[in-house]
Amino acid sequence: MAKLFAQVRYLVGAFAFALLVVAALPASAQQPSQVNPTASSVKEQQLLNALQSGGSVSGRVSIPDQKSGTLIQPGGRDWRQFHEVTLRWIGGISVLGMLILLVVFYLTRGQVKLESGYSGRRIVRFNGFERFVHWMTASCFIVLALSGLNITFGKSLLLPLIGEGAFAAWSQIAKYAHNYLSFPFSIGVVVIFLMWIGGNIPNKVDIEWAKRGGGLVGHDHPPAYRFNGGQKLIYWIVVIGGGLVATTGYLLMFPFYTTGMQGMQFAQTIHAVVAVLFVAAMLAHIYIGTIGMEGAFDAMGEGTVDENWAREHHALWLEQERARGSETHGRPMATPAE
Amino acid sequence: MKSFVFAVIAAFAIAAVAGFALNSVQKPSDEAYSTQGVRL
Repeated sequence: MAKLFAQVRYLVGAFAFALLVVAALPASAQQPSQVNPTASSVKEQQLLNALQSGGSVSGRVSIPDQKSGTLIQPGGRDWRQFHEVTLRWIGGISVLGMLILLVVFYLTRGQVKLESGYSGRRIVRFNGFERFVHWMTASCFIVLALSGLNITFGKSLLLPLIGEGAFAAWSQIAKYAHNYLSFPFSIGVVVIFLMWIGGNIPNKVDIEWAKRGGGLVGHDHPPAYRFNGGQKLIYWIVVIGGGLVATTGYLLMFPFYTTGMQGMQFAQTIHAVVAVLFVAAMLAHIYIGTIGMEGAFDAMGEGTVDENWAREHHALWLEQERARGSETHGRPMATPAE
Repeated sequence: MKSFVFAVIAAFAIAAVAGFALNSVQKPSDEAYSTQGVRL
């Protein structure tokens, strides 16, 4: 009897041990996920794969700016390299290069003179509204260019000269001017596009004009309509370049409204590159409209040009104006442009 | 010359209106990107 009781006790003990083992099995099976519930987000290869595909690694933050949760975004390094190094080279070469080119051109070619002299008869070149729009756009552009160049070059060129306090004050004013004056500039670009599109469609005359050096080489005067090939080039630079800087500029002015971090970096890259090339092109425009060509400034200054100037530089336009019955005025020019 | 003066006046006027509109739409970054509460 005692032996039987001992056997029963052994069986109960074995059964209890078996129950304990079975009950413990599920717990041991779940053990790895309980120990490291975020294992999938810390595997190095997965992080590298995410970064290699141009993405970013982000966590969670409790402040409203969820973008501050971005831990790593390799595109940011490329963008920093661009605006700290590459852009300065592009800007420096294009703007300084154009200035040097214009100085060399002026010293070798000199001013394009009005070879037939002043006739004393004036013809209307641009009416008051056209000049108003031109000057509104141009004056805004000068401020935008200077304040924009300050963003790229100010820290390295201007800051050492004027000191931190003055540079900070100037940069703040420049930043507000850049933002606010972009609106009249953009309006001006749109109106210029609509106002002068009719005369700026390229045609065969422009090819011939370009082949003959546009009147800049030697003493040739290739005929042109109201806008010659060079002016059409400037027009399209203003329309396309102005459109690009305005569009990308508003993306930057309203950050993250319609685009993410990479979109912002891309917009800034386009904005900066187009802007410095735009500045270089406008330097050439300013040159030829002022000291580069005798009598050219009057077209935008007072709205009229000398009849001989029109004949030398825009002979086909002068013929059109005469056919339309436009009158020239016998008022002698007060101050010939230099 | 007159058109230049009018152009500059118009540019300033449009810029002033744009500045007023921008300042009423956009908040400074210290307001836009911060919480009401402070955790010390």
